[in-house]
Amino acid sequence: MSEQNRPQTLAESISALMDNQASELELQRILKASEQDAEVKATWSRYQIASSFLRGEQVRGEQTPVIGSDFAARISAAIDAEDALIEQPAPATKKAQQGWFYQLGRVALVASVAGGMIIGVGTTQVVTQVASNNPVVAPAPVESAVTLPSGINSPAFNTRTVAMQTGYETRPQENRRVMFQPRQAGTTVSDDEVSRYVNQMIKAHSDNAAMNSGQGVLPYARVIITDEE
Amino acid sequence: MPKILLWLSSCLVVAITASVQAQTSSAPATATPETPASANLPSVQALLSKMSQDAARIHYRGSFTYQNQTSIELQSFRVEHWLEGGVEHDRLLFLNGPERLIVRDGQPVDCKAMGDKLLQRSFSQIGKTLASMDQLYQFEIRGRERVAGRWSRVLQVIPKDPYRYGYFLSIDEETGLVLKSWLIDENARPLERYQFIALELNPDIAQIKAQVLPRQYKAAADVTPCNPTELSKPSAWQVAWVPAGFVFAGQRTLATGQSMLMYTDGLTTFSIFLEATSNFVPEGVGKRGATLANMSRLVVKDVVYRVSVVGEIPVAAAAKIAQNITGQ
Repeated sequence: MSEQNRPQTLAESISALMDNQASELELQRILKASEQDAEVKATWSRYQIASSFLRGEQVRGEQTPVIGSDFAARISAAIDAEDALIEQPAPATKKAQQGWFYQLGRVALVASVAGGMIIGVGTTQVVTQVASNNPVVAPAPVESAVTLPSGINSPAFNTRTVAMQTGYETRPQENRRVMFQPRQAGTTVSDDEVSRYVNQMIKAHSDNAAMNSGQGVLPYARVIITDEE
Repeated sequence: MPKILLWLSSCLVVAITASVQAQTSSAPATATPETPASANLPSVQALLSKMSQDAARIHYRGSFTYQNQTSIELQSFRVEHWLEGGVEHDRLLFLNGPERLIVRDGQPVDCKAMGDKLLQRSFSQIGKTLASMDQLYQFEIRGRERVAGRWSRVLQVIPKDPYRYGYFLSIDEETGLVLKSWLIDENARPLERYQFIALELNPDIAQIKAQVLPRQYKAAADVTPCNPTELSKPSAWQVAWVPAGFVFAGQRTLATGQSMLMYTDGLTTFSIFLEATSNFVPEGVGKRGATLANMSRLVVKDVVYRVSVVGEIPVAAAAKIAQNITGQ
């Protein structure tokens, strides 16, 4: 393998592995190269970050940031995932569900990986090269391409909501509601009281946040001004 | 159709991979990706300093949106900030719902709050035991982004322990103002997000001051005096455990009689509220948006205290802090 085309074939293999399309041989090649070449690990890591964020998945363990994660473990995890797919082909109904939208998601994923790579290298101009016999698709303007998590998910908090209103909110301060999870089930607590108490403390705490979190007055957006004031 | 999309995207990756390789091979001096955090630490440090130092010194009027996890509602705000006689003035007007305004006056711009000290690395008064910021978070500059029509640097902040959240901060290149801020939980989901949509620098201050302010729901923000305490720990309470890197930032007594203890690690803050009470104390975890309140009961010398740990921190941190509070 010559110095020049080695990284390119490898990068293609890594990309294939990301899409669960890598062959046995490619996998071996990646594993071998990863032992010698730090760039291979880094590339894999970048791909994973971008795709994880895009899928809104966990990008790090409880303790370790993603960059520090063990490359071999990630590869094994990827292999496990791949085997499962091969052994248990998705039922037809599921496939239909995935359909067009799923494919679109994959495109977005790959595009975001591309964006992330550009950022990683810090290019200031778009460089396109014709790769062997494939036509080239010009990437989107690179300077603004930043991969961020998508969407705000519904609250995972298992609680009852301390709020007087239900359904569609006509009162303006809908966001004053406090989710409250009592330590002991069956405790009788006044919803109003807890809500008022927590909102009052959030207001006092905002002063600490505004002073000590480097973001100026922004934390005050969390404050509810109650009618009594 | 999907096949075509997939094929096109594959081509895209191949093309970009090729271009990236061209870049890296022509610039072998590029920092190795193995140590991205340490490699760009000087610029991260400059960015954090700029954020904490410069943004307070500019005059601006801007609009931003705010959204959090427990409410689907998108809130919008207008913020005005200016300096007069070395003192900061802020007006935060709620643009949704009834006219509400938060007025914050009187913070001297030269005040170096504990959070600023941590961000600017002026550690001399704090001592050597303090964990430096890069031991708490992994910082990475993720590129540039255009927000509110302005160019900003995107800083990704990943916590290194389960006791704090992560951030995406887009910091204005010119002014250091945070134009966009996402708070990210342990499952990489956004807990809340702020984003400026417009920013005007050096607005007409006289005109801002002449504005008729809404009379209803006007609230003056509490402003803690600069360096409210020279104490390195609370005077009346023992807080035996806080997550690594959190530093006591001051204490005061609220108008409602509660004692408030403040802590910060530079980016994340929490406050502890304590009050003696003869009423029933509800115990549990309250949450609104990204802010969590761990409420518990503490008995010291036959007096019942209501203790609440409030902040933008995971429940594991708040509960453990609360368990480690004792009287003196």
